Amino acid sequence: MNRTEILEKLKDILISADSKNMELAENCTESANLYTDFGLTSVNMLFMVIAIEEDFNIRFDDVSMDSFATLGDVVSYIEGKLQ
Amino acid sequence: MLTQTRDLFRKYTNDETFDRIKEYSNVSEMWKDCVNNYSSDIAIVDNGESYSYARLESDCAKMRTIIKDANSKEKMNVGILCANSYDFVKAYLAVVTSGHTAVILPAQLDNTAVFGCSMKYSLDMLIYQPQLEEKISLVSEKLKNINLVNIESTCDEETPITICEPSTPCVIIFTGGTTGKSKGALLSHQAVMQGTVNGCYGYKDVFGQRYMLVLPLSHVFGLIRNLMTSLYTGSTLFVCRNNKDMFHDIAVFKPNILVLVPALAEMALTLSKKFGRNMLGEDMKYIICGAAAVSPYLVEEYANMGISLFPGYGLTESANLVSGNPESTAKPSSVGIPYPNQELKLVDGELWLKGKNMLDCYIGEDAENSFSDGWFRTGDLVRIDDDGYLYITGRTKEVIILSNGENISPAEVEAKFNELDFVQDSQVFEDIDESGKHILALEVVLRQTELAKYNTEDINSFAKQELEKVNLKLPTYQRVNKMTIRETDFERTPSMKILRYKKFG
Repeated sequence: MNRTEILEKLKDILISADSKNMELAENCTESANLYTDFGLTSVNMLFMVIAIEEDFNIRFDDVSMDSFATLGDVVSYIEGKLQ
Repeated sequence: MLTQTRDLFRKYTNDETFDRIKEYSNVSEMWKDCVNNYSSDIAIVDNGESYSYARLESDCAKMRTIIKDANSKEKMNVGILCANSYDFVKAYLAVVTSGHTAVILPAQLDNTAVFGCSMKYSLDMLIYQPQLEEKISLVSEKLKNINLVNIESTCDEETPITICEPSTPCVIIFTGGTTGKSKGALLSHQAVMQGTVNGCYGYKDVFGQRYMLVLPLSHVFGLIRNLMTSLYTGSTLFVCRNNKDMFHDIAVFKPNILVLVPALAEMALTLSKKFGRNMLGEDMKYIICGAAAVSPYLVEEYANMGISLFPGYGLTESANLVSGNPESTAKPSSVGIPYPNQELKLVDGELWLKGKNMLDCYIGEDAENSFSDGWFRTGDLVRIDDDGYLYITGRTKEVIILSNGENISPAEVEAKFNELDFVQDSQVFEDIDESGKHILALEVVLRQTELAKYNTEDINSFAKQELEKVNLKLPTYQRVNKMTIRETDFERTPSMKILRYKKFG
């Protein structure tokens, strides 16, 4: 799976985590910030982690979600896990 | 004034189960009976290991010896600094069954806060997990009179349980209280036991269940409704150490009861819809939901999945649950009927409480305004229907007084808008219009998944029309003058409650 495909799946998850993100997610790039652009709360972040694990069939290490600032950071992490 | 009896709850289970729900006046006697009755049953599953009731008591008995050997004082305030784990359970039970008072320090406190709490709550001893050792360095350096005990310490000698008086101080739990200032609520053994037993009322299958712990044990809902009621009922408690692993843990452990805050219940529901399967597992029967307002939408959606979600209402000061709703599908907006051994009265709409489950006092803070003639003033505005069911209509301190003198409880008005299935959250607040006039305003966050069902092109104008219809049905003085549909969620407190806008004046 390439970065574009990962990003598209991630956008779907963002919309499910908080459906108000729909318009923003549809038009955003990897540089979009999870907190300042999407305004994700701690529950949204928890949702994202769980949904990413389900959708991509990967397990997050014990990393803090605070270490991800942008969508691109998350894409890179997933990409690394899928290799 | 309303006084409740336990017989009201008899019809929700069979007689055999109901008659097993026995009242205890102290945690020590309850725990002694649990060990006798469920000796070989599994009490706790944590980090891949299962601990029977007998094993847990044996470990507690050794910990009681370590406590006694470290300090022979008969009554101590013992801090517990442990994350959700078997260690926490062992430390807590060992302290309270030694006749000492457990002071629960949330594991996320930093070094300075642990030091401050040690002073404020006059700790004699502090039991800590080695992985949290860096948080006690200030205490270790500056408070030499406090015994520091590593929870992993061990010994061979076992010290028996000390039977306590009902009034013996049992636990100090942190709370924002009714004034919002952080303080410690002191609960006696009797109060903790009443809170524990209250968790047994209003549903069919009570004993020998499979609980999972996702809430912090430093919160009264986690400590009493989750841990204590699980132990009391001879159930097994699976400790989920990291919420991100919640659904993996559910798949392995297959719990049938969950104690959740509404935000987590909604998250589990949304994930279940996204992945087209019940993420809580086929064994899940009950969700006990509280600590914030529960949307009727959650009750209904979970009922469709075959899971009973019971909203409840409680406070740290009432050793958790004041009321629970056994008829949640019939009355989804209600927080239920009061549990036994309490007296309730409404004073200008505010709920006042007395009862076995109530706190003794606050520690370290002046609580003058919290009590009146022996009644605890909850600060919550409540309505009681003809069947005795409670509805939270707001907080006294949140009441908006309009220029015409009308008192508006925002939560009461919000509840009306929240009845629309596409409204996820709302906030009613006082605003100022262009002419400088004080008006009532509404902001809502929409639940897009529900809106999609309405098959409309312009979602926002459809939503506004529906909101306006609700507005027009409200009494004139409660109607909002301005409506805004938010693009982002409301700002929230750490416990996921909506952060209210500041009031004028």
